[in-house]
Amino acid sequence: MTGTSDSRPVVILADDDDAITSNLAPFLERSGFAVHVASNGEAALDLVERLDPDACVLDVLMPRADGREVLRRLRSAGRWLPVVLLTQVGESGERAMALNEGADDYLNKPFDPQELVARVHAVLRRARPGRRPLSAAPTLRASDLRMDRVSRRAWLRDTELLLTPKAMLLLDYLLTHPDELLSRDRLLEVLWGFDFPVGTRAVDNRVAELRRALGDDATRPAWIETVPGQGYRFVARVDDAR
Amino acid sequence: MRDDQADARYRLRVLAPLLAGTAAGIALQAVAPDVRLYLAASPGLTAGLAGLAVTGVLLIAARVRARIADVTDEALRRAAAEGLQDRLRFLMRLDHELKNPLTAIRAGLANVDLAGAPADTAAAVTSVAAQTDRIARLLGDLRKLADLETQPIETAPIDLPGLLREVADAVGEIPAARQRSIRVTVPQAPWPLPLLEGDRDLLFIAVQNLVANAIKFSSPGDAIEVRASEDGSAVLVEVADTGAGIPADEISQVWQELARGRAARSLPGTGIGLALVRVIVTRHGGQVAIRSRDRQGTVVGLRLPVSGRPDTAPGVADLRRRHDTPGTPAF
Repeated sequence: MTGTSDSRPVVILADDDDAITSNLAPFLERSGFAVHVASNGEAALDLVERLDPDACVLDVLMPRADGREVLRRLRSAGRWLPVVLLTQVGESGERAMALNEGADDYLNKPFDPQELVARVHAVLRRARPGRRPLSAAPTLRASDLRMDRVSRRAWLRDTELLLTPKAMLLLDYLLTHPDELLSRDRLLEVLWGFDFPVGTRAVDNRVAELRRALGDDATRPAWIETVPGQGYRFVARVDDAR
Repeated sequence: MRDDQADARYRLRVLAPLLAGTAAGIALQAVAPDVRLYLAASPGLTAGLAGLAVTGVLLIAARVRARIADVTDEALRRAAAEGLQDRLRFLMRLDHELKNPLTAIRAGLANVDLAGAPADTAAAVTSVAAQTDRIARLLGDLRKLADLETQPIETAPIDLPGLLREVADAVGEIPAARQRSIRVTVPQAPWPLPLLEGDRDLLFIAVQNLVANAIKFSSPGDAIEVRASEDGSAVLVEVADTGAGIPADEISQVWQELARGRAARSLPGTGIGLALVRVIVTRHGGQVAIRSRDRQGTVVGLRLPVSGRPDTAPGVADLRRRHDTPGTPAF
């Protein structure tokens, strides 16, 4: 589908359902990506080997190595290209796992295709070629804040932060998506795995909890900025603390 | 108290034959000690023994009845649990089978859209896209319910008055709310409400759903009251309105998934709200109840245990046993 002089980002789309790939691939092409389709995990790994793509979109449920397996094998081989997982709605364990195992983002089926394009653009923007993405780092540091993502603990200077599990999940997502405008709906989905018909205040409450723990001033934020009418942005610089 | 009386009555009923037999025996023995009925024993002793035998039979029958009731209860409990599991499995299968076709339809529509469809086709594409979103939303809502029945919920102390005020603020953003009076009443005397434990986000969503419903099914000028009170070892949260009410023949179905009354058919929504409320309250070990009078209004009550014992109570209170005091849902 792509020519050699093509400057479009190369994206691998792996899903075993032909109805998905035959509709999604042309859409992604039209949206400015050079798309290569794999119908199972092994084929996706072969394509990565052969094409050295800019990003991967992997379905979690696939024959011959599912999306998680592909992700694990990519990361353990030191391949840090951005990966977006297509997950099952509501499986909270699956979401946490997706982020812990180094997926750059995930999207629940059935998703809005425009949202997938937005996510792929975002992970490409965030990508640090040849370097481990923040989402695959076990420990992150932002100024005086340190987070151990494996044990789900965080420290501000030498004091451990006492946070509810959901606030910790939110902090993890903010730290792995710095300097990105995150809508309340998106954060609600991160916290709950699905969109509630109403109740984005649930997000505001957790952000308030984080701000209290971090001693952040909402009017002059050093950590979490409110983008009026839109959502939040983590403004501090985040580094892999290896 | 009532149980003690019932116990005494039961003992009397079982022992009556024995007592009657003994009394008849004593009387016979005193009045006609010489009468013999071609039996090995005296008539008095026979009457006494007959009484004892009848009591024995009654006792055995009562024991058998109790055992049958136990077995029936256990079977009902097991059937309810299996029913829930079956429903969850069904919802997950439905979700699994529908989400790929829905994703594909959405991608196909987005393709047509990007390719630049002619004007007449574009209108059709927009319409199909809207209907696809509707199915996706419905599927998402059903899946949400299934998730809430199983996923672990947080148990942290909840400041209920703060939560109720926050709900009132949040629903204030619904345009129709401005034409209704919404009042939150929380007791301060003789002491404030006991602290609840649970998942604040979920309880917020439950109460917000109820207030949003009250707004939806009322008219400008109607009153909506959100009130909390202490009720034994529980806190009772009520959302009452002077709105349209629910017809008597629809009230028993309101807690079920996808139940939409005749009045709701012209209004947007998936019919998932009250089912969601029921699941959230049940997961907190509480109960829900509803009372309504057609064209007069509705009151929905949530009874939440203070100690926070999840998963212990039946979800919907038995309305047949309520005391019919207007304005107070009974549990």
